[in-house]
Amino acid sequence: MAKIGVDVGGTFTDLILEKGPRDVYVHKVPSTPEDQSLGVIRGITEICEIGQIARKEIELIVHGTTVATNITLENNGSEVGMLTSRGFRDILHIARHKRPYNFSLQFDVPWQSKPMVKRRNRIPITERVMPPNGKIVTPLNEKEVIEACKLFKQRDIEAVIICFMFSFLNSKHELLAKKIVQKELPGVYISTSCEVIDVIREYERFSTTAMNGYVGPKTSNYINNLANSLKKEGFKSELRIMQSNGGVATVDMTTEKPVTILMSGPAGGVIGGKWAGNLSKEKNIITVDIGGTSADISTIPNSEIRIMNPRDTYVGDYPILAPMIDLATIGAGGGSIAFIDKGGAFRVGPKSAGADPGPACYSKGGSEPTVTDAQVALGRLDVDRFLGGDMTINPDLSNKVIEKKLAKPLNMSVKDAALGIIKVINSNMALAIRANSVARGYDPRKFSLMPFGGAGPLHGVALANEVAAKEVIVPPAPGINAAIGLLETDMKYEFTRSAPLVLENATKKDFDRINRALSDLEKLCRERLSADGIIKKQQKIIRIAECRYHGQGFELRAELPNGKLNSNNKNIVINNFHKQHNLDYGYTFGSDQVEIMTLRVVGIASVKPMTWPKLKPLAKGKSNAKSLKDAFLYNRKTTFDDGKTVTCPRYNRDKLLAGQKISGPAIVIQHNSTTLIPPKHKAYVSTYGNIHIQKN
Amino acid sequence: MTKKINKKNNKKNNKKNKKNVKVDPITLQVIGGALHTSAREMGHVLYRMSFSSIIRESEDLGAGLFDANFQTLSESDSTPLHIGSIPGYLRGIQDTLQDGEWFEGDVVVHNHPYHGSSHSPDLAIAIPVFWKGELVGFSANTAHHIDIGAATPGLIIDIRDVYAEGMLFSGIKLYRKGERNDAIWQFMESNSRTAKMLIDDIEAQIASARLGEQRMKELISEYGIDTFKSACNELLNYTERMMRQQIKAIPDGIYRADGWCDDDGRNRDKKLPIKVAVKVKGDNVTVDLTGSADQVPTAYNVPFEGSTKVAVYCAFRSLLLDQAETEVYIPSNEGSFRPIEVIAPEGSIFNPKFPAAAEARFTQCNRVIDCIYRALSPVMPEKITAGNSASLSFISYAGLRPSGDYWVFLEVNEGSYGARARKDGPDSIDNLMCNTRNNPLEDLGMHLPMVCERYELRDDVMPGAGRQRGGIGVVKAQRVLTDGVITHECDRHTDVPWGAFGGSEGAVGRVQRYNIKGNKQITEMPAKFSDVDINADDVIAFYGPCGGGYGNPLDRPAEQVLEDVLDDFCTIEHAKKAYGVIVTKDLKLDHKATKTLRSEMSK
Repeated sequence: MAKIGVDVGGTFTDLILEKGPRDVYVHKVPSTPEDQSLGVIRGITEICEIGQIARKEIELIVHGTTVATNITLENNGSEVGMLTSRGFRDILHIARHKRPYNFSLQFDVPWQSKPMVKRRNRIPITERVMPPNGKIVTPLNEKEVIEACKLFKQRDIEAVIICFMFSFLNSKHELLAKKIVQKELPGVYISTSCEVIDVIREYERFSTTAMNGYVGPKTSNYINNLANSLKKEGFKSELRIMQSNGGVATVDMTTEKPVTILMSGPAGGVIGGKWAGNLSKEKNIITVDIGGTSADISTIPNSEIRIMNPRDTYVGDYPILAPMIDLATIGAGGGSIAFIDKGGAFRVGPKSAGADPGPACYSKGGSEPTVTDAQVALGRLDVDRFLGGDMTINPDLSNKVIEKKLAKPLNMSVKDAALGIIKVINSNMALAIRANSVARGYDPRKFSLMPFGGAGPLHGVALANEVAAKEVIVPPAPGINAAIGLLETDMKYEFTRSAPLVLENATKKDFDRINRALSDLEKLCRERLSADGIIKKQQKIIRIAECRYHGQGFELRAELPNGKLNSNNKNIVINNFHKQHNLDYGYTFGSDQVEIMTLRVVGIASVKPMTWPKLKPLAKGKSNAKSLKDAFLYNRKTTFDDGKTVTCPRYNRDKLLAGQKISGPAIVIQHNSTTLIPPKHKAYVSTYGNIHIQKN
Repeated sequence: MTKKINKKNNKKNNKKNKKNVKVDPITLQVIGGALHTSAREMGHVLYRMSFSSIIRESEDLGAGLFDANFQTLSESDSTPLHIGSIPGYLRGIQDTLQDGEWFEGDVVVHNHPYHGSSHSPDLAIAIPVFWKGELVGFSANTAHHIDIGAATPGLIIDIRDVYAEGMLFSGIKLYRKGERNDAIWQFMESNSRTAKMLIDDIEAQIASARLGEQRMKELISEYGIDTFKSACNELLNYTERMMRQQIKAIPDGIYRADGWCDDDGRNRDKKLPIKVAVKVKGDNVTVDLTGSADQVPTAYNVPFEGSTKVAVYCAFRSLLLDQAETEVYIPSNEGSFRPIEVIAPEGSIFNPKFPAAAEARFTQCNRVIDCIYRALSPVMPEKITAGNSASLSFISYAGLRPSGDYWVFLEVNEGSYGARARKDGPDSIDNLMCNTRNNPLEDLGMHLPMVCERYELRDDVMPGAGRQRGGIGVVKAQRVLTDGVITHECDRHTDVPWGAFGGSEGAVGRVQRYNIKGNKQITEMPAKFSDVDINADDVIAFYGPCGGGYGNPLDRPAEQVLEDVLDDFCTIEHAKKAYGVIVTKDLKLDHKATKTLRSEMSK
């Protein structure tokens, strides 16, 4: 089965084609930010030529896209109209009434100054559902809904969201209002809060629904257009979109709930990390994807990609309760700028020189020292092999700018200032790694750190040492790891239902209610998977109860036992919850009651893992040293983190063989990435081409 | 293993603190980052694990790491009043500590308002950090507990003295040398209306403080004790330097402003003056509150160490180290307090004498901050705000369940900001020293016999008009479904938020009570009331004050006024009267009429 993965980044669109077992091609084309689909189509058609495969033979195209994310960054979403319960017009305006800063007077409140739904378009509707049982005490005023639609029509509203209080207890009013809007405003993009995310807490539910409406029309246009263009170009394959939760979904599903693809971009990288770990049979991986302006960090214990508790998920300033891979993004990358602040402190990032003007050494007018300039000044990036020689850099500019802005004012050498830049940026990243691993109860000493993205393998060893990871694994193609991840992604559908229940007091009637909800949710998952042509045997169903101690405010996930939940096996859920609580907080309230809040069912269909070609092994009888000579390029002076400048050999990664050993200091160069093996470290190349680096 | 140390040793250790190693700027940055991350983790564990909504939803808590001299090294990003107050608690603990000394494995609880606490419901949990037998610092946090057995459920105002505030802990060890003091836990269980929540939330505080202890030890083990201490000192100095630079930029002089609070919650006809003098000299500043009201006979007094001083520190951090205006992160630590002195005569409302009650202290603190900004407005027009709501609505609802157990709910209602030189004042948001989160209305409805009737922006008054408009206050109407009792701590029903540089003043707040099923007759309530019985289906509607405007309203672009009208931030009448902007019935600008009217009004 021939498959293509296409991942759109800020600068490049990365592609991978798996034509058959061990028959893999990669390609890169410039991204086209004004319309991502142009670059995507161009890349896909070109990689088919490179792989010499007819378009109609491609069976699957998986797409990682930043189109929805960019709408939120650029603030250019659709004009949204909102129907909400009378008396509660400003839930989105007030949010959680907390300021973005503790100590500030001149702060901005983005949800008030640049709202997703303007106040004039938030229309209160008379209706009322009462807690705690969802009883309707005031029926929906249908006339008011019709009036609101008229107003929306006048105002060219592109998306309508329907958000009523307590709809998680009773969705009748939202669904009825939806019917009316469908009739009054045919073609408009409609989202109801109970369908987007059926959970308690009005602000978070409304905010998620508003985001769905805000990115909905543009995102679904983009995806529909891309699907049509591909058909026109002669591709018959299905288009699948990468979701924030690490699964892929169909075009229909994504256009209905685009709020689920806001983290589509970085998700591919994490899955690619898991895949590359598996090549070396390593199950515990910390991925660090370092680009120009930011680094994405994720911890994968036992080959299981972790999904964030949807109560913690934010996109920009907004809580978005969509399942997302647990990853942290920090403003640290090759373009991060180093400077001395007013109080004399040494700082690196989060401001970045980006790709334009970029680091000083790009000779595009960059006048601030960046992390890349530090690497150049320390002799770790070679002038003639930057991006495989596709781009020339000027090391003099790096030295000069570091001297002027840092070394002189601090009365230190250029070398020490450059080392300082690297040390501070690594420390920032290490703190984020720790927050994503140690702070969640994972011991980094049991994990391999996997750096990728263009700049990743330069930092890998330093980061691993700082967080005490057991080793570094540099994947075979660090520059396109995220695109590889796309082809390794499972089909994945998730459905939730709010179902509050204190387990200790549960009666048979309660268990019946829970079991009914579970079987409804499972049915929804199976329907989606079957529609994708997945036979029942290949469908995997995971059932989760999101629980808390009765009276707490935050839920944690507990796996449900197989089969029906009843008074005999409820203790399994209770114990799973205690265990999770202990893992997260180091404490359990053993005698407290455990309460289920939300049921979540995930339907998964695993894809067949990509068969990556094995690397040619070292020839029998030929010594390591002798064959290393074939990969040797030249020697150059290089400064490592210990401050020592040594003569350091360069090797061509394309010529390294499986089983090969390299002792540091050494630098391994490939087209879009450079791997640093410092002194007192040794590396070996695995069967499939991973480079493992460890301390001597 | 525990190691005994006595006070003498403590002193010796303090001397040892002064032994300085030079820390390179890079290591400094690394240690600073780790300290900050640790404090945030502590805050995170605390609110995630806790049970009462005031902690888990509102995040009315603070957490941080401190050196052996009780100086703040780092703090969580939670409520400002909490995090600034912990050094006061630690000093108070030192004076009252059980055994008179710290042991490894101790966990101390403390809340005595005359020994440094912010106010009695904010319990601190403090754990000493020992390194090779030496006391090197503390990990501590505070959180607001909904009931500690005071005279009335939840909040208190009209009480006689500090003993009516409930359980007072001073330097009590919940754990001593690692061993649980069962007697004190059992005692607490029978002295709170919501004992289970109290106990469980204290457990959450302990888990958070233990995490901080562990993090500090990890740092010391990695960098060595000397480097660690020197780095901490340098971080404090750095923040102090940044603060002094900013103070120095203010012209020397004495700047004054004043205002008043409505009453003390009992004597309705007696306004309480607040007088603020800000004295700037070089890179030092003194805030003198002399002339403010004498202490009052109710709980409407402010503990000096734990609240008055913290309020003044908070005022200057927000004004001079404004996080939205500074590109870099400035460590939040003791250094920012050093250049600032606070004076309040003993026996005044800001420095009451034992045994005056001092639980209801927030609105006075916020008014001091607001007055500081008003005082400095002539010399810092770009940095201050026009008049803020500068109060706080803190309300407790309570009742008995059929089982005979109490339910108690505490709610913090938001305020609004005055307009700024370049931005409108934010609407319905926590003000100044308060920065909690609201309690989700759906969560409330599921747990307690209450339901919200209305939660949106006020439309009964307009905020201060100006080139930049003031923030709009909230209206929140809560209905109880069974009989109960309420106490409300608030202010600002009489003294209006001021308008700056030609902007008009804002609007005062109000509180109404009515029964939704009865004759719906509305009773206007004072801002403060204590222990009032309410009946099923009674509604308490809180209207937050609106902020003052900034600059001449005639300078606000007519297009912007139209936008406000479209969004119902402004009525058509108000656009005309306050801004001289004519908006037609079909919501269009009448440019010509506007021009005429504006030129008339500017005469």
